[in-house]
Amino acid sequence: MTSLTTFYLSGIIGKEAFGADGDAIGIIKDLLVNTMPSGQNDPNQQLVTGVRLRIRKETRFYSFKSFRVVKAREMLNVTCTGLIELSNEEVDNGLLLVENILDKQIVDMNGRKLVRVNDVRLATLPAGTFAIAVDIGIEGLLRRIGISLPIKRFLSLFKINIPAKFILWDDVQAIDYSNLNIVLSKSYAKLNTLHPSDLADILEDLGKKSSISVFSSLDEEKAADVLEELETHAQIHIVENLPVNKAADVLEKMPADEVADILDELEDEKAELLLKEMDTESSQEVRELLEYSDNSVGSLMTTDILSFKPGITVEEVIDELRIKKPESAELYSLFVTETNNELIGTFNLRDLVVAQPKTLVSQIMKSEPVFLYDNQKVDDIAELISKYNLLAVPVVDPNNQLQGMVVVDDVVEDLINKRRTKKR
Amino acid sequence: MFRAKLRDSNFFRHLAIFFAIIGPGIITGSVDNDAGGITTYSVAGALYGYGLIWTLIPSFIVLLVIQEMNARMGIVTGKGLSDLIRENAGMKITFFIFIGLLFSNIGNTTTEFAGVAGSMEIFGVSKYISVPVVAVMVWLLVVKGTYEIAERIFLIFSVSLLTYVVSALMSKPHWGEIGSAIIHPQLEMNTKSLAMVIALVGTTIAPWMQFYMQSSVIEKGLKMKNFKYTLIDIAVGCVVTVVVAFFIMVACGSTLHPSGIQINEAKDAAVALKPLAGKLASHVFAFGLFVASVFSATILPLATAFYVSEAFGFEAGIDKKWDEAKEFYILYTGILVISAIIILVPNAPLIQISIWSQVINGILLPVVLVSMILLINNKKIMGIYVNKPLQNIIGWSAVVILTGLSLMLLLMPLINRL
Repeated sequence: MTSLTTFYLSGIIGKEAFGADGDAIGIIKDLLVNTMPSGQNDPNQQLVTGVRLRIRKETRFYSFKSFRVVKAREMLNVTCTGLIELSNEEVDNGLLLVENILDKQIVDMNGRKLVRVNDVRLATLPAGTFAIAVDIGIEGLLRRIGISLPIKRFLSLFKINIPAKFILWDDVQAIDYSNLNIVLSKSYAKLNTLHPSDLADILEDLGKKSSISVFSSLDEEKAADVLEELETHAQIHIVENLPVNKAADVLEKMPADEVADILDELEDEKAELLLKEMDTESSQEVRELLEYSDNSVGSLMTTDILSFKPGITVEEVIDELRIKKPESAELYSLFVTETNNELIGTFNLRDLVVAQPKTLVSQIMKSEPVFLYDNQKVDDIAELISKYNLLAVPVVDPNNQLQGMVVVDDVVEDLINKRRTKKR
Repeated sequence: MFRAKLRDSNFFRHLAIFFAIIGPGIITGSVDNDAGGITTYSVAGALYGYGLIWTLIPSFIVLLVIQEMNARMGIVTGKGLSDLIRENAGMKITFFIFIGLLFSNIGNTTTEFAGVAGSMEIFGVSKYISVPVVAVMVWLLVVKGTYEIAERIFLIFSVSLLTYVVSALMSKPHWGEIGSAIIHPQLEMNTKSLAMVIALVGTTIAPWMQFYMQSSVIEKGLKMKNFKYTLIDIAVGCVVTVVVAFFIMVACGSTLHPSGIQINEAKDAAVALKPLAGKLASHVFAFGLFVASVFSATILPLATAFYVSEAFGFEAGIDKKWDEAKEFYILYTGILVISAIIILVPNAPLIQISIWSQVINGILLPVVLVSMILLINNKKIMGIYVNKPLQNIIGWSAVVILTGLSLMLLLMPLINRL
């Protein structure tokens, strides 16, 4: 005997549940689904655990264990063998399908974007009832309005099918938990697997409250990467609404030039508050960058650079890199400075790799490197980078002291932004 | 001296913030005076002279209160009105509102093209040339992604709406009569004048504007901290709407009404102005009509496609490719094409179309308003920024009066028969 019954959420909400004796017990208002994964691939993850039932004037949560959904002649019947009330804790560990999913935006993990839920597809198996997929297609829309069948029949005369669009439950991440006392970092666990720029796009499309709660759930490294990718007004919204200490923690993880760009947009008092909360080393760098005027090379440069003395060997340089594990952008170009921090040469990873371990840095470096002054206008950079095929250009102050470097990524971003503003 | 300097820099800082924030209110206010609006104001002026100018005062108050609510909701939630309605009012109400919005806006866009056709005919251009050219230009402008430039150009052009002030002054209005007509508001209790009042209010406070306003506030990334500047922006926009409406009614009321000339279209007003107020006044009027029509023909279909897509969960936005946002582009192109075709059909029932879209607007408006007031009083959504009692009083009275007027209009034929 096959006992698989599939049905739609919209098909049972607002229906009466009947007792064993055939009497109506109450009206189904919502279903509760288990979300706390006890492990990877936990089969109970999408189990319907509870039902919100209105009995006369009162609405309470009951265990779904004693409920059963059966389809008889295209009609759905919900039967119940007994009412067991759920504890608050059990309710808090779940997700409400109507309240949190239906008509709400969720993240489609495969498409990496926000979608709106038109319906939820459920299935009753011997082991229980499960949420199997969310419906985001036009058919789901029509079903909700109650005109799906007639329209389907009408269109089938012309051999037209309404395309159904489903996303498996495993591939969705709910966003709206506003009514539940849930541990958010756990609930948004799936989002941590997304690429920071996809996450940033999603955050920009979310409402203000949700974007803050999703952002707060990310770990600091991820949060810093995402914040870097956000558009300016979304960055400001997040930084202003996060608790100061949390915001400072995230900012510390970001490159100083990006932090300076954000703080530049904030009100002075707020920026000062954040700088005070950040550790001294990071905040000092940011403060120096904030001194530069908007259109100068200094405002675009990063201070995360690696510089070495001319007298050390290639081997020593590589050892140091292994210890420091710098970000890839920091390795675009490596610098050689005198003890007074005066720039005397540059070299790159290729120079390092092809050289013998005992070779001195002064032997592999290019002396008299191309450089920019920190107070120069940014307009000159793109030309320079393209002319000399550079990934990064060192920046020095008027005394030839190395201050930082401008990397090609930031130059491209700056160019795109400028073109966009012109277009507008 | 030092202090004066300080105050100055403060003043300039405020001015800078203000200019960064203005836009949504003023643009919405300008789009509001579209071909449909100009037609309604002209017809009202020609039929009732200065008699219905008083309706602009309550319209202004309601418009101001509603747009303030939209701006506040947009800033606090960061969500569009269609998102909020879909998430909180359920599918059926959402469906009703957005199907209604779709139909009424196809009607409205048709009216815009009628404005294009009519105004260009004054300059001797056939509608079979002007309408397709404008439709294609508008489509390209939006889809090829230079919409933002277009918006700026339109904003500058919307200054040309002030040409109505010139038209009105050239028509030598009787200021005394205007004053007393405003102080002693009068309303004849018959179907015709009731319908006129509803049309006047309905065209000033169109439902789609609420969605437009809320989205543009979000797009701008505005903050509650600077809300007072947003308020100024909204107020300026509302004043623009009402002042232009006022002068159109004055122009038509001073010239057409005394001569007993009845008109059906805004174009008729331009034609009729010619012998009475001179060729220049007529051309000025036609030019203003053309600019307003093109402006709204650009924004209306785009906005409608956007809100319908948003509510039903289709991908939307002109930065998306055709394949990514198929439904959105089909909707947008469909609205433009259908509206343009209707105008080009010989003997199309234009007046019926514009009346029906006004009626749908009239039915939609209370539904949208009720949804809005319920949403904005929801603490879960708005937190501390829920409505204050006065805002609720004005909002609910607007709902009651508008619904009452619409019902009266529907029941009037029955009562008269008794």
